[in-house]
Amino acid sequence: MALEIKGLTKQYNATKTGLSDYSITIDKGILGLLGPNGAGKSTLMKIIATISQPTRGTIFLDGVDIVSNPNFIRKVLGYLPQDFGVYPNLNAYEFLEYIAAMKGVGGKDLRRRIDMLLEGVNLTADAKKPIGTYSGGMKQRVGIAQALLNDPKVLIFDEPTVGLDPEERVRFRQLISEMADDCIIILSSHIVSDIETIADEVAIMQSGKLITKGYQHDIIEQARGRIFEVLLESSDVAAFKTCYKVIDTSRQKDRTRVRYISTDTANVAASRPVDAGLEDAYLLLTQHNA
Amino acid sequence: MQYIYSIVKADYLQRTRSYAFLITLAITIYVAYLFVPPVSASYTTLSATGFKSVYNSAWVGYISATMTAVMLSFSGFLLVNNSIKRDIDTEVGLIIAATPIANFSYLLAKQLSNFAVLCTIAVCTFAVSVLMFFLRGAGYPLVLAHFILPYLLFVLPAMFLVAALAVVAEVFLGKRSMLQFIIYFFLCGIVLSSLNTKSTAPPSGFFDPFGVSLVTGSIKNEINTRFHQHIDQVSFGFIFSKRKPFQLITWNGISWTALFIFSRLLWMSFAVALVYLSSFFFHRFDFKKAAGKKKKQPVVMPHDEGFAVIPAGISSAELPPVAFNYSIIPFIKTELLLIVRQGNKWWWLPSIGLSISMLFAPLPIASLYLLPALWFLQVTRLSELVTKEKTNRLHYFTYASYKPLQRMLPAQIIAGFLLAMALALPLVLRYAIVIDGLSIINLIIGALFMVSLAVCMGILSGGKKMFEVIFFLLTYTLLNRMPFADYPGSLPQHHNLVFTGVLSAIILALLLISFAARRYQARHL
Repeated sequence: MALEIKGLTKQYNATKTGLSDYSITIDKGILGLLGPNGAGKSTLMKIIATISQPTRGTIFLDGVDIVSNPNFIRKVLGYLPQDFGVYPNLNAYEFLEYIAAMKGVGGKDLRRRIDMLLEGVNLTADAKKPIGTYSGGMKQRVGIAQALLNDPKVLIFDEPTVGLDPEERVRFRQLISEMADDCIIILSSHIVSDIETIADEVAIMQSGKLITKGYQHDIIEQARGRIFEVLLESSDVAAFKTCYKVIDTSRQKDRTRVRYISTDTANVAASRPVDAGLEDAYLLLTQHNA
Repeated sequence: MQYIYSIVKADYLQRTRSYAFLITLAITIYVAYLFVPPVSASYTTLSATGFKSVYNSAWVGYISATMTAVMLSFSGFLLVNNSIKRDIDTEVGLIIAATPIANFSYLLAKQLSNFAVLCTIAVCTFAVSVLMFFLRGAGYPLVLAHFILPYLLFVLPAMFLVAALAVVAEVFLGKRSMLQFIIYFFLCGIVLSSLNTKSTAPPSGFFDPFGVSLVTGSIKNEINTRFHQHIDQVSFGFIFSKRKPFQLITWNGISWTALFIFSRLLWMSFAVALVYLSSFFFHRFDFKKAAGKKKKQPVVMPHDEGFAVIPAGISSAELPPVAFNYSIIPFIKTELLLIVRQGNKWWWLPSIGLSISMLFAPLPIASLYLLPALWFLQVTRLSELVTKEKTNRLHYFTYASYKPLQRMLPAQIIAGFLLAMALALPLVLRYAIVIDGLSIINLIIGALFMVSLAVCMGILSGGKKMFEVIFFLLTYTLLNRMPFADYPGSLPQHHNLVFTGVLSAIILALLLISFAARRYQARHL
């Protein structure tokens, strides 16, 4: 199973472009989407979820064009949008039954499936209470459960860890990892550490374009030798920031440790190269392509 | 004052920059066109037994302003009584609550933005009234003062009061929109019925927020004095009657008195005072305070089960296999469940009471008055049929579901239809007992029309307001027995298959538009 996206363009109006000639092939496993706000991540996910149409381009799932035949993917799609809502007067159980009806899932085992999903997202005890009384994290977990109702083969998660506490995030990661053997999972997040922990492959986007896609190791490799740390007087940090792309700062008594990107270290005394991470590579690549 | 202006401006722009508002303006223009009927029309907007004025500036200007003041007071309230609710829904209210703005300033800004919206509509009817003067032209000169003054002194003060009442209703009755409508219309009904006094003294306007008593009193006096008549009532509104010969009069408007102008200022001050008083009771988006002592369901806190629960997760291998079932029955079931749970459960009592009363009331009363009233009580349920997914931000799921057009939308239409028919069942039984099959068919078609209208308006506008306003106007005109509003086919002249056929064609058109628009929406988020 593979999702082949070719020349996808989404033009909102003459000046605003969501995606620009975007091509990518997504295989089974977890693909993490990274990119700054407005990079086109949500636009791409909406188009794959068939709720937005591209201006140009095609998306093939197992050889079937889902732009012209959206119901083909809808049967096997699990989608968790970034800003979804719920019917506050329904309880979690009734809500999942409703979503199951939308997905065309029924049968005698539906009840048991919902029970297990609710248990999986730790909501069994509150399943009979109206969703309107739930906290943000609990609603997010209902959203995760609904995405899994139809045994999806394509799972799209747009910012799935928003509102989840650290414990729930761990649980979510475990859940996703387990499902990845059997389906395509596309996941976007602003939290690079989430992507770093979960994703097999990473695609970095900017201004509606794909900058790079590959295994984490290969992407991090692009930042090797370009990430440094230096200890500066706190008063010098502001001036330093005007010359270098600073990734992180941490105060240490009256001095500040600065992590930054540079092509060479010749001009900064006492700098030392450090191991790069995905966040470093992401910032390097998005800065380079800005 | 500067920040009040900024709030008013932002609120006004937010409300007027929508297709729904454009459609509202289009409907306004059409209704304003109806305010000045041609001589050959089967209706009139002001009835003074056997008399009618020539279409001079005074008649056209004053009648248009009077009709605007009354009609816009009714429908305008429905249109603007959601300004605070919008801040709750968008959660902008939480930001506002954390700013130093005083409750009164905030509510005053809301009143002024309501007023600005209503004035925009009034400006449209004003422009149409001038146009109609030329269209219905009888060769009389245009006197602009006959248009400007009644709009200035009737319409604007009335709209100022309506804008304030909408804010007050939101403060005290919150999201109970149906209760707001009922109390407001009850109050309006009392005021309007009290205006038909038999006194010959010129009305002061102190008990008349619309100012219409000045017009009706002046016309009555003109007829009684000049033609030695004893007319004690002049009616306004859309009045249908068989064409009768009438005598032409030349009515030249009213003489404005300082007392009347003072009464307008007093009404406007009263409106500000109401807003000021309500500011002491404003929840300021603190809903624990708003709920008062009422028992409220607490926010459920996640169960503290510690790290031990983490490994539980979901094992996809252990989940039962998925069985596919593309029936729309589960949809209908949930839609009905949502309808039943919508709003306060006690609000079912008036509906059930009206429904049962249709078993015992005389058949004409049941069909002409009780049924339209009963169906109108469902207005918030019907207006939510196809808008609730967007209001609750659930449309991402519904649009991405399997065949949403073939399954989801029909289920919503069927659920709305089942609700309408369940409530009308006593009347259907009555028709069945007297073997009146055509009336049953008309009733079914009427229910379908109502639901189709709700669906079409909801999909096109993306919100509830447009349907609520249109359905109110439709019900109001139906209760006034106007044939064009008789969608349940209750009037004797509609007891024929031609009516049934025409209404069916309209339903078909509404549904086609709804499906086409939803199809587009589902792919263009």
